[in-house]
Parts: sequence; structure tokens; C-alpha cells
Amino acid sequence: MEKFPKKRGALLAALHIAQAEHGWISPALAKTLAALFEIEPIEVLEVVSFYNMFYDRPQGRHHVYVCTNLPCSLRGARGLLRALESHLGVRAGETTADGRVTLGHEECLGACAYAPMLRVGEAYHENLDVEQAKRLVDALE
Amino acid sequence: MALTAPYVTNYLTQHFADDAFGQVDGYVARGGYEAARQAITRMAPDEVANLVKDAGLQGRGGAGFGAGLKWTFMPKGTDKPKYLVCNADESEPGSFKDRILMERGPHQMLEGILIAAWATGAEKTFIYIRGEYAFAATQLERAIEEAYSRGYLGSRVMGTGLSHDVVLVRGAGAYICGEETGLLESLEGKKGQPRKKPPFPAQYGAFGMPTTVNNVETFSHVPHIVKNGKEWFRGIGTEKSPGTTIFGVSGHVVRPGLYELPLGTKLDEIVFEHAGGVPDGKRVKGVIPGGMSMPILPAGQLDVPMANEFLRERKSMLGTGGIMVMDETTCMVRVGCVISWFFRDESCGQCTQCREGTGWMNKILNRIERGAGTRDDLDVLLDVAGKMEGATICAFSDAAAWPVQGLLRHFRDDFEAHVRAQKCPFPASFEL
Amino acid sequence: MVNVTIDGVAYEVQDGRTILQALDDLGLLMNGVDVPHYCWHPKLSIDGSCRLCQVEVKGQPKLQIACNTVVANGMEIITANERVQKAREGVMELLLVNHPLDCPICDQAGECKLQDYAYEYGLAHARTKEPRRPLKKRADLGPTILLDQERCILCRRCVRFTREISKTSELSVMSRGDRSTIEILPDRPLENDYSMNVADICPVGALTTKDFRFKIRVWFLEERPGVCTGCANGCNIHLGVANNQVYRYVPRRNDAVNDTWMCDEGRMSYKRIAAPDRIREPMLRGASGGLASAKLDAAIAAAAAKLRAVTSGGAGVVAALASAHATNEDLFVLRRFCEALGTQTLGVAVPIGRADELLIKAEKAANGAGARALGFEDVQGVADRLKAGAVRALIVLGNDALAALGGEAALAKLECVILLDTHHSPLERAADVVFPARVVAEKLGTLTNHAGRVQRAEPAVEPAFEAFAEGEILTRIGQALGLAGFAPGWRYDAREVSKLMGEVVPAFAGCDVDSVGDEGRPLADAATPPRGAGAR
Repeated sequence: MEKFPKKRGALLAALHIAQAEHGWISPALAKTLAALFEIEPIEVLEVVSFYNMFYDRPQGRHHVYVCTNLPCSLRGARGLLRALESHLGVRAGETTADGRVTLGHEECLGACAYAPMLRVGEAYHENLDVEQAKRLVDALE
Repeated sequence: MALTAPYVTNYLTQHFADDAFGQVDGYVARGGYEAARQAITRMAPDEVANLVKDAGLQGRGGAGFGAGLKWTFMPKGTDKPKYLVCNADESEPGSFKDRILMERGPHQMLEGILIAAWATGAEKTFIYIRGEYAFAATQLERAIEEAYSRGYLGSRVMGTGLSHDVVLVRGAGAYICGEETGLLESLEGKKGQPRKKPPFPAQYGAFGMPTTVNNVETFSHVPHIVKNGKEWFRGIGTEKSPGTTIFGVSGHVVRPGLYELPLGTKLDEIVFEHAGGVPDGKRVKGVIPGGMSMPILPAGQLDVPMANEFLRERKSMLGTGGIMVMDETTCMVRVGCVISWFFRDESCGQCTQCREGTGWMNKILNRIERGAGTRDDLDVLLDVAGKMEGATICAFSDAAAWPVQGLLRHFRDDFEAHVRAQKCPFPASFEL
Repeated sequence: MVNVTIDGVAYEVQDGRTILQALDDLGLLMNGVDVPHYCWHPKLSIDGSCRLCQVEVKGQPKLQIACNTVVANGMEIITANERVQKAREGVMELLLVNHPLDCPICDQAGECKLQDYAYEYGLAHARTKEPRRPLKKRADLGPTILLDQERCILCRRCVRFTREISKTSELSVMSRGDRSTIEILPDRPLENDYSMNVADICPVGALTTKDFRFKIRVWFLEERPGVCTGCANGCNIHLGVANNQVYRYVPRRNDAVNDTWMCDEGRMSYKRIAAPDRIREPMLRGASGGLASAKLDAAIAAAAAKLRAVTSGGAGVVAALASAHATNEDLFVLRRFCEALGTQTLGVAVPIGRADELLIKAEKAANGAGARALGFEDVQGVADRLKAGAVRALIVLGNDALAALGGEAALAKLECVILLDTHHSPLERAADVVFPARVVAEKLGTLTNHAGRVQRAEPAVEPAFEAFAEGEILTRIGQALGLAGFAPGWRYDAREVSKLMGEVVPAFAGCDVDSVGDEGRPLADAATPPRGAGAR
């Protein structure tokens, strides 16, 4: 917090940390963070609701996000996403029943020349075909 | 996991094949931080700002605003703390150049920041990097630590009276945080909703203090300008758009990747000669020249020099140089669906035209693609796009309107074919 | 000051103001110079998101939003030309893309800014074929407010209100883009002393009050100007009247008193007007000991007779208590009555409660200051004389004094208690004669708020039963007693009384009911009136 002229600047960092530990920002967690930053819980949750990377509900252990923006779509990203949907038995935005994987689609991740691609948490996996993607996802515990 | 070096390099990326260049020793060994030393010890701040201004460096974040000119907006003689912000939120679809600059040339960027700090009197820089660029962020963290330990950052930079701090801040997934004032709001721990202007960041910026926001690549050019001078810089590129930029080529090309080339290089040269043209013997249908916000150009108009002054004549812009190539199988209505979905998803939701317009355009385009469109839908689409321009807090609304206008300008036939056939007549196109 | 022209007319406006603020300062906004807007509000921070207030500023290539453009010397502003009209059309069309066609079932109809501006500035037909987004339609935000998310145009006034005015932060905009919605946290409902103001400032029917829901169409209501009588702040209001009934209070802007706000409790106090516990007829205590209804003449005669009997040896044994709920005119008549009768045992009891930093005042009556300015001091003096046995008759307006006087037991010892009141209370049990008084909404007069501001009240409704202004009742009793200044045959006229008050009482010079204007006037006496006990 000291790195910021106003401590609220550290809120996004705090949310990243909280989420890495808990997987999502619960109302209780929001209250704790609100007290830390001397703001209202609703101000924490409105920030959570605004950003793609913060979640206000429980998630799977692994986030698998396939980029479906234009350069990736031109090279088959959406077919890849559909293949993963049927492989995992969930629609994009849903979590597998065993809580292992939350599948999603995402906007441009900055890997346009290496399409199609996906990210698992922080790791990028580029230049994929459907088989590679399935193997990748199966390997996640 | 770092991106491999560009296929064509120039002064920004010439050493990117060497991993050592990303470490402080390797950087210094190649003359790193010398330009900063020269600027800080032998030039006055104003001199530096004017040098960069006279060199004509256009911002490389998409808007093309003069970097040195922007530096001169910072107030002088104020006792308010001044800040720099490095906009590393690169989220423009088709762009991935800032990513490689941070992964393989972090010190080059830091040196540019240092020089800018000297020129503007800023005491601290916030590097706001998009949350998804985790690897680039670790590279930057390491480089910042190295810079501090070697005295390139902190109090008494390189033994001089200048002190400067750099803080790395991670975003959390919102394209609109790449907009200057949206970034500032996010930096302050709030939703990244752009601010009304006036006031502008130089008056009221990060945490209410005078701030200059520049792009990763913009900062990266600065040490080279200081080292080699403005004549050298102006000798590359075009008269109005000097220097190089790193074009990112993607889509239907043989060699998608990064190409550092002088501004003014022709688009068809980049696509066909450097990137190998369209694979499988197919013809090109259209190319988006500068990131997805920029209007598409049809096959017959690709002989345009890649610089704003020329692209503007073709009703497009350089943007971030994200070149997306589409071959003859591509259904342009599907392209419209993909593009409009992006803008609908990423709109911050403040301004009426943007919030409602992005949604409406996306719905119309989806309906046309499914075969339920009518001819007057095309007129409504254009009309809505027109209403979204020039009347909002930030340029996102314009950026959402332009691609639709571009598609209808050059590929209206595709749309009318959908209306006539009451389905998509391009079964071979990429899957939606 | 800077000089600007607006639509070709020159104006001098304050430096540093935005175009909308300048128009507001001049009293011209939507009142001669129309710049339609949603997100801007004179008492909230500038938002700049609705984009409706775009105007042309000479020299600027793009249209500028009037809410955020600061005036500059020589600025030429055009609020009505084809460009501006096109821009307004654009905003209106886009707002209606997702807005549900709820007018037939929406409370806001008739006072809806979306209807008004769509009619004035929008397209005549909808071009959208897309289904509208379904959202929560009857979200219970708390005890007073319902939210219809589909109707919301995201002007964010309500969010800013809870952050800046009530400072309770219950509301927020969640998510982004066309998925943005107004939300509360489940464990933090919209519940504060000023919650219902959000329904006023909501330009559409997204936020509505549960109290007013489906009651009546606003075009049947006559909005009469008035003053809230819940506390000594005297928030300016409009009483919404139809069928001789008050259906609601809404705040009326007065920058010197309440800005554009009022508290929920005051807003709901309209229910007291037609409450079932109103005293609906004069009453006399009969020989059997119970109160029985009586004709007014009989009650007047009885009161006069009792007073005549008690004051045969001198009037010092009569005490009179003013009510802080009565008008200045009523209390002026009481004062004249006491002067003519010859007693100086006067007082007023003002109910005290909680106060806050915003509008709510500790005195829970509208005219404590007026009573004090007319010479009625704290009830303690009267209570002491009562205890000392020096009082034989009591004329009491209202029932707030009961506790201070020692309760019914203390009053039981008196030979004569004449009560003039609006609502039933335990004090009746000690009264010999009870007169039904009118509430402020039923009569003409003035009230003096905590800051010494005299404000006008006009009759908005006629009681459905017998009730009279206290001044009128006292006049009739005075006439019956042949008191000086109470000429027989004179019909009570509050306006005449007010004028006389302005002439006779220095503090009220220029503050009679016709001179105070729509926004009131401070008492002529520069010093604020003496504070009653417990007042803030």
C-alpha cells in the first residue's frame, strides 16, 4: 500500500492476492478488504464485478480460457472452444461437475500470431490444435 | 514462454534474439542506460522534451499523439508530485508488440521512462500492465529490481540528483483500462471508467496529480532518439511519421508474427513479402491495418504506406499496427459479429451511446448472420454507428463504430448477400 | 463574472460555473432555455455520462456537454440547432433500445423525463427489432424503495445520492457495458433517513416509492406548494392533491432551506392529515364526566362562560400554551387574546427528538421558532405556576405540553381546561372543552423555521369534518367574551391577521403571508429567535 499515494490504489493487487488464495471474492472477503482500505464492501464488489479476472462466485480449480477474438477466430479458435466444451461436458462460462475446470472464452490475450491459443491461469498455451488442447486440459488436476 | 524475436528487427528489437539483452548486464553491455546518463547529466529537462518533440515521435499506443509534445503539458513550478504512467495494458485485438518489448527489452523501456522522468520532473512511474500478461510482469519485476540494485532507479539515479521510483501494477482484465483516464481510475483501485475531460491528466491525473501517460513502445524509442539524435530518427519512416514500429501480423498469413519496420512501409509489402502472403494459394479479401478498432481495407487498397497520414486518406488509421489478414473464404458479417461482440463486452457502460449502441450493433449483426436480417437493418447499423461517434467521454465509442462503418463501406455485398439468402452464404468461412 | 451569449442573448454569469450551472443560477434551465439532461443534478457531483445535454459551443468542433463545460468570457453557446437536435435524437433513441414499454403500468408516467424528452426531442418511432434485456423488475431495495432494473437508464444519480448526500453508500453500479445494473448488497438494504429522495431524482420509473405505488396517476394530482411540518427545518414541499386528499409529499427546491431534499419521516407525515385520530368535532364534558360532541356555537359559549367565571377576580389565573404546530397567525391571535384577557402566563412546549447533520432538526414541530418570536417562552414557567397553584384555567393548543405540565393529574385540579387540537390525545381526558383544529395543510398561514425563516403555507385540502384554524376558534371565543380587539361580527380571515401581525410585531415586518413569497423570508429581527430548551 505504501507504494501508492492513496492506499486504495493497492486494491487490485489485494484482490489478486485474495483470489489466488481463495479462488473467488466472497462477501466476507469483500468485507475484510473493505475494512482494510476503509471503503464500503459494495465498493469492493463493484470493482470485482467490473474486471474479467475477478470472480464473485466459486470457480473451478483451473481456469481454462480460450481466446475467441478475431485473429484467433480466423484460425479456428471457436471450433477449438466447442471441442473443449463437448470434451469437458460444460458450456463456456461453466465449471465441470468435479470442480476441476472452469471453461471460458476471453478477449484478445496478445498472442495473435500464435493462434489458436488459451490460457490456464497465468500460463499461455499457444499454437494449439484440438488434440493438443484436449490433452492439456486432461492433464490438469 | 517469452515470444520469439521478431522476423524483421531494427533498433528496438535488434538484440531480442539474445536473452541476455533482457538482463541488466546484457543491456548495459550493449550500451544500455548510456542515453539516460547523457540526458540526465548533460541536458536540461526542457532540452530533452524538445528533442523528443522535434524528433516527431508519435505515441505508439494507438492514438498517435506527439510524445514529446505531451511531455511539455506537465506543469512547471508546481510543488505537486508529478507522475508518469507507462500504459502496458495492451489489449487491442491484433496487437502483441508491447508484450515482446516487455518480455525481451524491459530495460530499454525503463531507460525511456527514466529519460521521460528527467524531462518532465516526474518523481514516480506506475507501470500498469494488463493482468493477463503474467510472464511479462515477472520479467518487468525482475528488471525493476535489477535497475534499483544497480542504481538506475531509486534515489540518486546513476549518482545524480535525480531520484525516481517505479511501481508495477497489474490490471485485472478490462480493455477500457488501456484508455488513459480509464487506466488512471483503475490505478486508483476503482472501476476503470474513463474520466470526463477536461481536466486532462497533465492537470489532474493519477491520484489527482499531474501525470503523463505513454505507451510501452513509445518509451522504448526514447533512448534511441536521445542517443542518435532527431535527424537520425527523422531519417527513418516518413516525414510526418518518423521511426519504426513493430507490426504484428496475424490471421490468414504464412508467417504470422512480429515485424519491426519503418513507418511508411507499404501494407502489401508487409503482408505478402515479409509475412509470406495468404496460405494455400488463396487470395486476400481484406486486411485490418492497425488493431481491431481501425476500419478494414479491401484487397484493392493494400498498397497504402503504413503511416497515419496515408491511412487516413483511406479512412483508416495506424492504431497499434496490428495487421489482421483475412482470406477470400472469410465472411465479413461474421467478422462484424466478432468485432462487435468485443466492443459490447468491453464497454465500460457510462455513456448512453456506447453502452446501448455496442449492444444494439452486436444484436443486429448476429441477427443478419443468422439470416434474419433485412435491408433497412444495414441503414440502421450505419446510422447507429454514426450516432456513436464524437459524442462520448472517451474514444471507445468511436472505436466501436469505425469497424462497422469500414465493413459496410467495403463489404456491403457480404451483408446484402446474407439478407437476400436469409442465411450466411459463406459456409467455408471461419467458424463463428 | 464572465459574459456569454446563449442562443444569441447576452448574459453575465459567475466565473467557474458550467453552462448548466449558469443556466440554473439564472433560473432559465428548462424554463426559457431548454437543455434536457438526465445525469446532471444541481445538488450532486457532475457525472457526464448520459450525453443528452450536448450543446454547440462556437469554436469547438465537437458538441460539448453543458454539464461539464465551464463558461468562459465570450463563449457563444447554442442550445437549439439541427446538430444539437440530431445529437439529442441519437441519445434518446439509444436510451429507448433497452427501456421496456412500461408506461401503462409505470408510476412515473406523467412526470417521466424519458417520456418528456422522447416526446420533445426523440424520434417518433422505434427502429429496434431486438428483444430488450430482461432484468429484475420489482427488486425490493429496502423498506421504502422498489427498483425496476429494466427501466434504469444508468444516470447514476441514485448512486451519487447515497455516496454524497445520505453518505450511506447502499447503491452501486455493478458489472459493465450493457450488463450494468444498479445493485445493493443483500445484507445492506437501502435504508436511511433520506432513502425516498432517490425516487425523486430518478428521471424514470426505475426507482419508485412503495408508498405511492399504483395509488394514483400523477396527472390527476394538483401539486400545491407548501411546507413540511415534521420538524423545525420546514422543508419546502409540494402536496400532491386529488379528490380533496393529499396523496404524497415531494420536496420542493429551496436552496436556503432544504436544497432538493426532505427526510423520509417528513415525507410520510402527510398521512397525519387524514389520520383516523383526527378530532372531528367540538366536544363538551358533560355532567356525567364524559366528553360528548357539541355544536360549535355551544362549545364557544361554554368556553367563554367558563373563562368569564374564572376571571371574575382577575385574569392572572389563566395560563395559555401555544402549539409549535400552529401557524404564526394562529399564535398571533392567541397572543392578542391573552393580552386582551389580561394574562401573561404564556408558554409553549416543543417536542424534541433526534437531529442530524443534514436536514433533520431536534424540534419535531414546524413553528417552535415562530412561537418564541411571538413571545411564548418555554413551558416550564407555566408548569411552575401550575404547580404553585396559581393557575385556575388553561387554554392549550396542541397536546405536547401534557408531560411538562405534570400529566392529567396536574390538570385535573384546574377548573377549566380548553383544548384546541388536531389529533386525539390523553390530554383530552383533562379537558372541559375540546375544539377540532385544522392542520397546516388545511389553512392559510406562515411558519417560522429553526433559522428564523418565515414560510407560507396554503390550504391544500378541506377537512372532511368540522375543523377550524386555532386563530378562528380563539377569535370566536374572544368575540363571545367581548375582548378588546375582537370586534363582533368580524369573520376570521387569516390573511388579514397575517397583515396585522406584520404591522404589529417588529420581527414579522414584511413577513406576512403575502410578502414572504414562494421561498420564504427571514424574520426582520436580525438576531435569531431565542432557543427553546433542547433545540439544536
